[in-house]
Amino acid sequence: MRNRTLSILLCSAALLLSGVLQVWGQADKPAYTPPKTAWGDPDIQGQWPTVTMIPLQKRLPGQAGGKGGGKGKGATKQQGPQRPADVNNAPPTTQAALVVDPPDGRIPALTAEGAKRRAEARDGKGIPAEWREEADAPEDMNLYYRCITRGVLGSILASSYNNGNQILQTPGYVVIRHEMIHETRIIPLDGRPHVDNKIRMYMGDSRGHWEGNTLVVVTKNMTDKTSVGSNGAGYNGEGGIHSDALTLTERFTRTAADTLQYEATLDDPKTWSKPWKIAFPMTADPEYRMEEYACHEGNYAMENILTGHRLEEEKGVTKK
Amino acid sequence: MSKSLFAAVAFAGLLLTLPLLAHHAFEAEFDGDKPVKLEGKVVKMEWINPHTWLHLEVKGADGKTETWMIEGGSPNIMIRRGFTKASLEKGTDLLIEGFRARNGRTMASGRSITFKDGTRLFTGGSADARQAK
Repeated sequence: MRNRTLSILLCSAALLLSGVLQVWGQADKPAYTPPKTAWGDPDIQGQWPTVTMIPLQKRLPGQAGGKGGGKGKGATKQQGPQRPADVNNAPPTTQAALVVDPPDGRIPALTAEGAKRRAEARDGKGIPAEWREEADAPEDMNLYYRCITRGVLGSILASSYNNGNQILQTPGYVVIRHEMIHETRIIPLDGRPHVDNKIRMYMGDSRGHWEGNTLVVVTKNMTDKTSVGSNGAGYNGEGGIHSDALTLTERFTRTAADTLQYEATLDDPKTWSKPWKIAFPMTADPEYRMEEYACHEGNYAMENILTGHRLEEEKGVTKK
Repeated sequence: MSKSLFAAVAFAGLLLTLPLLAHHAFEAEFDGDKPVKLEGKVVKMEWINPHTWLHLEVKGADGKTETWMIEGGSPNIMIRRGFTKASLEKGTDLLIEGFRARNGRTMASGRSITFKDGTRLFTGGSADARQAK
């Protein structure tokens, strides 16, 4: 027994020492300095497909686990996203959830207003998601299903495919392209004010500035129709929809030649009880190519779905 | 197909549907109970997002040719499964296995493509996801 105690003590001391040495080693390593563009801005250009498989939230104790998850002591089974089929493998990570603040890895509680809005959406049928065998009109399916948009966060979070993101810089502007829905965000860096509060856009109105080597992008003027999750089924089986009061602050920092650390803080007092933050690393893939996006061509899903529902009405299958 | 027959087929199909976590549900467009095997020559390959479209000229038993449109995965998915931009050039002989479109058109969701040398590759399209269910 004494021997066991001694060996535990020795092991702990060794672990502590190795931890100290590791931190020491990190402190000695100079921080990565990204190259500069010809006009002197930090250069973050390139193809940065989202390859992460980190789940959005940590699982609650007792909650049924989904795909993915870790092994070993302390590992929690996660509600994992699908393995993206069109990108390289994600680098290994110990990060348990995209939500890094609050530190419990969970999205903060909905405000009373936020909960009410969700409960009352579409006369109690809920916020439009994917087609779930009921659709009276196109508006019963979310904006992504209708080839319109995935919103800002939906465009950058991992999906099962079409995960490409490309960053281009010119003097005074940063351009971020997303493969799915071929969104392009043109972000001025000259300090101009946001557009009038009355002007509302699915992708919002973005303004950027540099804080050292970090590109900070603040987006306002959004609608209450886009969601956090990439396909309207983002988490908890519903859309993760925010309100038009959302201020989104994104931070892009190149921490290595092939790594762009992404952070996004969501401040939406109409929806969540406090601001929350997600973070994940994006990995460079110079070989990645984005092809033309043609969502409607050859896509007869909406026509078929609505034809089916009109037939159901004729035959009295549904109440409507 | 007559309009009423098409309507009846669509109706029957939609009553038996299952939603899928994909851009558009496989079940809303294609019929998992109507597998097809199509042998023919590539007319055109469209490397476009979110789904590629392969146009295939197929000769029927009556000697008449029909052009089929085959939906595959996204270009990047197919390239990671082994396709190259040169592998589906005009005139290439292929055998495609997949599922027919519900709307009665000569369209299908392609699950796999077999080349003349026997190489068989999955397209990574919505038919793959359906099969995995």
